[in-house]
Parts: sequence; structure tokens; C-alpha cells
Amino acid sequence: MAADDVPRWPSVPRQQAPRRWRFGRPALLPRQPSRRLRNSVLRKAAVGAGLIAYSWFAAGTRPFTISALLIVLVPGAALFVIAYVRPPRRIPPPDRLDLTGFSYWAIAVGVLFEWEASAFKDGAPSWHPALTTLIDPALGTRPVKAAGILIWLVAGWALVRR
Amino acid sequence: MATRVITIIGFAALILALFVLEFLARRKDSRIPTLGDWLGYVMRPKAGRLLILLGWLWLGWHYFSR
Repeated sequence: MAADDVPRWPSVPRQQAPRRWRFGRPALLPRQPSRRLRNSVLRKAAVGAGLIAYSWFAAGTRPFTISALLIVLVPGAALFVIAYVRPPRRIPPPDRLDLTGFSYWAIAVGVLFEWEASAFKDGAPSWHPALTTLIDPALGTRPVKAAGILIWLVAGWALVRR
Repeated sequence: MATRVITIIGFAALILALFVLEFLARRKDSRIPTLGDWLGYVMRPKAGRLLILLGWLWLGWHYFSR
């Protein structure tokens, strides 16, 4: 057989066996993974809190100022460095796309761009507003702007992982 | 005024369509790729990756800096 050289369970030395095998006790969960899990949860919570704090701080900047530019450029530069210098483990993309399935996305995104472009071409008057014109008043309040920045940051991280 | 309402309804319908597509794409055995799938596919070549990341940066600048 091909697996003849593989040591079988009874031949494993007693000392090397995991603790849960000894004394015939029921299997216990190993300790290390749970500690690792706790560390991972703590790290995610810390990163989440940091992102929320940053978003709130960034939402307090006044538009058309250097600080308003920096709150976008700094995370942008950081993400570009991560993406090209030290990329995280990426979610593998599909080898191919179903053309018919993708065409639904292409049509929806294309029409959205066309709808926006037609409003932009008209100068976004009140009778034909652009998406930006509609969203801007909502972004005038700090909580909404902070939520928008947070979504933008999370989307950027999701893109880097792709 | 009616034109403004039609424009807003158009935007709302198109954004809703994107959410519906994502929902349909997540069904089992769906032929429609998810947003993440097709973005990942577009980002396979370096040029595609750069363009998508620049688009993300532009969105941030457009909505939060100006």
C-alpha cells in the first residue's frame, strides 16, 4: 500500500501525544487556538475602534482645506504602500467570469454613470441634480460624514485584499 | 420639480438595482458574480488594480475633501 510507511496511531510515542489523549479523558480543546482567537478578536476590536476614532476626527475637518485633503491622502498613501509593498493574504479572484452574469453589473453601473454624467453635463441644476449634489447636504452633518469615511476606509481595505 | 423627482427616483432605482444584483449573486449556483468577485477579476492585472485603487482614492477626495 502507498501509506505503509506512515506511522499508525498505536505506534505514536505516549509523551508526544497531545494531552487530551492521556488518561483516556474526553477530548479537550487545545489551549493555544483559543488564546489566538482571543488575540485576534482583541486586535480587530482595537483596529475597529481606531478606524471609528479616525473617521470621527476626519469628519470634523472643513472642506477645501489642507487638513481635509490630508485626511484622504494619508490613508490613501498607507493603503497604496500596503497594497504594493506588503500586501495581505488576498482572496483569490475567480479564473473566469460568466459574461452574461457580469453584463448585468456592466449595464447597471454604466447606466448609473450615464445618469450622473447627464446631470453633470447640465451643470447639476436643481431640476436635474447630480448624485454629488444630492449627497453633499447629508455629508454636512458630522455623524453621517464620519460613517461615510468609515465605509470608505473599510471598502479600501476590502479592495486591497482582492 | 417633476424633473428633479424623476432624477432622484432614477438614482434610487439604480442604486437599489446594484443591491439586488449583489443579493442575487450570493444565491447558490448563481451565474451573476458578486461585486467582490468581478472587482477581484478586474484587479488581477496590475493596471486594473491601480485603476480601481485610484478610483477609490478619487471617491474619498470627491466626497470628503471638497
